[in-house]
Amino acid sequence: VTDVGVMTASERWFRLLLRLYPQDFRDDMGEAMVEAYVDRAREARVRGGRASVAGVWFSALKDSLRNGPGERAQPAARWRRGGNWGRDTELAFRRLARSPLFVLMLAGTLTVGLGAFAVVYTVVDRVLLAPLPYEDPDDLYWVWRNYTWFDFERGWLGGPDIAELRNAGGAIRDVAGMQRTQPTLSTDAGGEPVQIAQMIVSPNLFGLLGVRPFIGRDFAPDETGPDRPQVAIITHGLWQRLGGERSILGSEIRLNGNPWEVIGVLPRDFQFVRNASLGPAQGADVFVPYQTHFAEMNPGSGSLAGLLRAEPGTPPERVQEAVATVGRYVDERDHDSRGLQLYAVSAKEDLIAPVRPAMVVLGLAGVFLLLVLLVNLGTLLLARAAQREQEFAVSRALGANPLAVVRATVLEALMLGVIGGIGGALAATWGTRVLVGMAPADLPRLDNIAFDWNIGLTVVAIGAGIGLLAGLAPALWAVRTDLGTLMGSTRQRGSGGRVRMRRGMVVVQVALSVVLLTAGALVVRSFSGLLSVDPGFDAERALTLTVPVPGTRYPDADAAYALHGRLQAELAAVPGVSAVGAGWTLPLSAGSSQTSMRFPGAPGNTGSDEHDNPMIDYYAVRPGYFEALGIRVLDGATFRDAVAPGFEMVIDRTLAEKFYPDGTAVGAMIPLGDETARIIGVVDHVRLYDVHQDGRGQVFLRNAPGSLGMAYGLSWVVQSERTRRAPALLAADVTAAVRRVDPELAVSNVRTMSEVLGESLSEQRLSAVLIAGFSLGALLLAAMGLYGIVAGSVTRRRHELAIRMAMGAEHGSVLRLVLREGALLVALGVLIGVPGVLVAGRVIEGVLVGVSPHDPATLTAVALGLWAVAMAACYVPARRVLRIEPGISLRQE
Amino acid sequence: MDRRRRRPESRLPLRPVEFHILLSLATGDRHGYGIIRDAEARGAAPVPDVGTLYRALARLVEHGWIEAAERRPAADAGDERRNYYRIRPLGLQVARAEARRLEALTRAARAGGLLRAGAS
Repeated sequence: VTDVGVMTASERWFRLLLRLYPQDFRDDMGEAMVEAYVDRAREARVRGGRASVAGVWFSALKDSLRNGPGERAQPAARWRRGGNWGRDTELAFRRLARSPLFVLMLAGTLTVGLGAFAVVYTVVDRVLLAPLPYEDPDDLYWVWRNYTWFDFERGWLGGPDIAELRNAGGAIRDVAGMQRTQPTLSTDAGGEPVQIAQMIVSPNLFGLLGVRPFIGRDFAPDETGPDRPQVAIITHGLWQRLGGERSILGSEIRLNGNPWEVIGVLPRDFQFVRNASLGPAQGADVFVPYQTHFAEMNPGSGSLAGLLRAEPGTPPERVQEAVATVGRYVDERDHDSRGLQLYAVSAKEDLIAPVRPAMVVLGLAGVFLLLVLLVNLGTLLLARAAQREQEFAVSRALGANPLAVVRATVLEALMLGVIGGIGGALAATWGTRVLVGMAPADLPRLDNIAFDWNIGLTVVAIGAGIGLLAGLAPALWAVRTDLGTLMGSTRQRGSGGRVRMRRGMVVVQVALSVVLLTAGALVVRSFSGLLSVDPGFDAERALTLTVPVPGTRYPDADAAYALHGRLQAELAAVPGVSAVGAGWTLPLSAGSSQTSMRFPGAPGNTGSDEHDNPMIDYYAVRPGYFEALGIRVLDGATFRDAVAPGFEMVIDRTLAEKFYPDGTAVGAMIPLGDETARIIGVVDHVRLYDVHQDGRGQVFLRNAPGSLGMAYGLSWVVQSERTRRAPALLAADVTAAVRRVDPELAVSNVRTMSEVLGESLSEQRLSAVLIAGFSLGALLLAAMGLYGIVAGSVTRRRHELAIRMAMGAEHGSVLRLVLREGALLVALGVLIGVPGVLVAGRVIEGVLVGVSPHDPATLTAVALGLWAVAMAACYVPARRVLRIEPGISLRQE
Repeated sequence: MDRRRRRPESRLPLRPVEFHILLSLATGDRHGYGIIRDAEARGAAPVPDVGTLYRALARLVEHGWIEAAERRPAADAGDERRNYYRIRPLGLQVARAEARRLEALTRAARAGGLLRAGAS
C-alpha cells in the first residue's frame, strides 16, 4: 500500500466516522474536521510510520464515538437544527422589544378585547354553563301546573299534587314542596325587628338537595304536620347576623311573634333559590317545615313550588312521562278532568330560561369580537412581516428550514397573544367586579359570578390561540417569499400576494364589524325605547317601603286594619309628602295574584270561553294607592276612605277596553266568587312584571276586613310633593313615622320607585352597554385596519403617484384614486356583511323590544356611520399624497 | 450575538478546550487544526481531540465569542478550503477573565505551599 493509498484510506475512515455526528453539524464542520484528521495522520506517518497512523485512526474512533453522539445529545448550536425554542423566544422577544409602540398597540387591543370577552365569558359560564351547587343537579326538576282550560301555563302546585308525586315512585325518587313568605324576625337578644324571607318546606328538602347542616341537624322526616314542635334551620348568613354563636342551636327566634327553635345552620356556600310561577327565583334566610300535610291541603288552590329529584340518570322524557301520569290522576280525582296538566322542567333550564336569550346574544357578540380581534392582529402582523421580507428571503435562500422561519414568526405572534391574554385576564378581574355591580339583582346565580383562575387561564389560552392563528398568515406568506421574487421587486416593495391577503383581511373585518355594529345598534335602540316606555305610573316622585304586620301583636283583621289607618295618617303628616297609599304589591314587583274571571252582561263578551274568561292579575289596595303612584284614573273614581256598602272594584284600561268598549264599565256588577262587586272606576294599565310588555288585565280590590282581599303586611307608597323633596330624602322621616306608630314594626325595602324601575331594566342595560362596547371596539379595529391598508398603499405607490402628478394630475384626483381603494374595500365588506346581518337579526330577535331586527332606519344608520368612520380612516393616511413632491420623489428612485 | 450583555465572569470557569481556542485566536486568526497545534506547542495535556475542538468551536460561535473569519492570513494563502476563526471582543474579555481567575488560583496555591514560588 502506497503512502497515498494510506492517506486515501485514512480520509475514507474519517469520513465514515463523521457519520456519528448529526447531519447539520457535519454539513457545517465536516470538511474542516476531515482535513484536521488527515493533517494529524500525515504528521503521524512522517513521525512514526504506519503504526502511528493506526494510532491516529484509533484515537479518531474514540473521539468520534464520544463526540458524535455527544453532539446529537447536546448540540452546540441548537437553533440551526430547529430545536431551540428558548433561543427563538429570546430573539422574538428582542424583536418585539425593539418596537414598543407596535407591541403596546397590539397588546392594548388584545387586552381590551380579551378583557371584554373574559367578562362576558365569566357571566355566561357562571349563569349558563356552571352546574348548580347541588348534588347531581341534572336530576333536579321543577314541576308546574298547566291550566289548559284558560291561559295559564305555569301555575303553582297544590298540596295534593305533591303528595301524589311523592307516592308515584318509579322515575321519581323524591319531591319537596315549598312556599316563600316574608315574616318579621325578632329575637330575645333585642335589636330592631327585621323582615326576612322564610321558606316553608317539606322536611326532605335538604336531603333531596344533598345538603347537610353545617352545625346542628336536618329536619326529621316526621317533623311536619299539625301539632309538631316548631323547628327552624337558618342560613349561614342569618346565623352570622344573629351573632354567629354555636349557642344558637336550641335557642328561639320569633317569626311574626311565633317562637321557632333553631335546630341547624346551613353551610356557608349553600345557595338555594326557589323558582317562581311568575317573576324571579328567590332565596330565603330561614327554613321551617309545613304545619299541614300536603294531602290535606285544598287541591283547588295552587301555592307551592315543587322540586323533584329523579332516579339518577333517568332520561328527561321518562321523568316527564311520570309527572304527566300523576297529573292525569290528579286531574281526574281533584279537578273533574277539566284538563289540569303537570309538567317538569329541568332545574337549571328553568332558572336561566328568562336570561338565556340575552346571554346567548352576549356570548355570540363576544365570539364575534374575538374574530375581529383575530383578523386585526393578523393584518398588523402581516404588515410587520412585510418589513422583514428581505430577511426572510435571504435566510430562506441560505437554506434556512422553512419551518424555522414559520416558527420565528408564529412565536412572535404567540408571545403577543399571551401578553394580551394576561392583560385581558387582569382587566377582566376588574371588569367583572364592575359588571356584577351593574347586573340585575335577580340575575340567576349572581353570587356565583366571580372571576377565577380557571377563566384567567382560559383567556390566556384564547389569547395564545389568537396569536397562533393570526401569526399563521404572515408565516405562510414568509415561507412563500423567495429571494428571486424579492430581487425582482426591489423597485416596488411589497409583493402582490401580501397586499391581496391584507385587503382580504380588511374586507373580512369590515364585514364582521357590520354584523356586530348592527346587533349593537339594535340592542341599544331597543333599550332606549324601553327607557321611554310609559310604565303606567309616575316613578319620579314615589318612595316605597314594606311594613310587615306581626300576627301576635295584631291578631285579627280589624286590629291590622286600624294599624293601617294610623300608619297612613302618620305618613301623610310627614312634611313634603303629598299622597300616601298601600297595597299588596307594587308595580314591576310581580306580587299580584291570578285568577280567571268573567264579566257577565258586558257588551264586549263574544261567547268564546277563551275570550270571556281570561286570566287576570288582582290585588287589594288602600285608598290613595293610585294617587300616590300617579296612576291615571280614566273613568269613575277609586277607593275612598269611607267604606260604602257592598263590594267595590277598580279595573284597568285593558279589561275596560276588552269588555266595555262603549265606556259603560263604571257601575257594572261583577260576580266575584259568591259575592258581587261593583266597578267604581277604570285606571290606566300598570306594568306589574316588566317594563317591556303589557301583562294581563288587572282588577283592584279594597284591602279591608270583610272585603274580598285583606292582607296584613302591605307595601306602602308615599309621594313627595312636586317641588319640595326628592323621594329618597324622605326615607328617614318615613321610617321614623312608622316607628312612631309602633316601634316594633319592621321596615324593609325602602326604595324609590325610580330604583325599582331601574332594576327592572338592569338586564337590558347590561346587554346594551356590553354589546355597544363590543361593536364600537370592532369598528375601531376595522378603522385601524383600513388606515394601515391605505397608509401602506400610499407608501408603496409613491413612485406611481409621483409620476401621475408630474404628468399633470391634480392633487384632488390623486387623492380620490387612493380613497377609491379604501372605499372599494368598505363596500365589499358591507356587502359581504349583509347576510350576516340577516342571520344575526334572527338570533337577537328574542332580546329586542319594539324594534324589528331588520329595522331599516337602524341598518341605514349603521351603514352610513360605518362608511363615515371608514372613510375618515382612509382619508387621514391618504392625505399624505398631498405631500408628495413629484420632482423630489422621482429623483429619489 | 445574543449573549454579549452577560458579564464575562458569569461564563467561568471555561473548559480547557475553550480556553485553548480563545488563547490561540487572541494572537491571530487560526483554522481548527492550527489551534490543536498551538495547544500541542503549549504542552497541553491532553491535546484536545478534533471532534471536541470542533464542537467547542461551534459552541463559541454560538455564544458570540468567536466568529468565522472571512479572509485567511496571507501566510496560509495556499490552503483554500480551511475555515478560519477570529476572536470577538466578548471572547477576549472572557479569556482575560479566565486568565485572571487561573492566576488568582495559582497565587493561592503558592501561598498555600502547593506550588514552589517561581515554578510554572
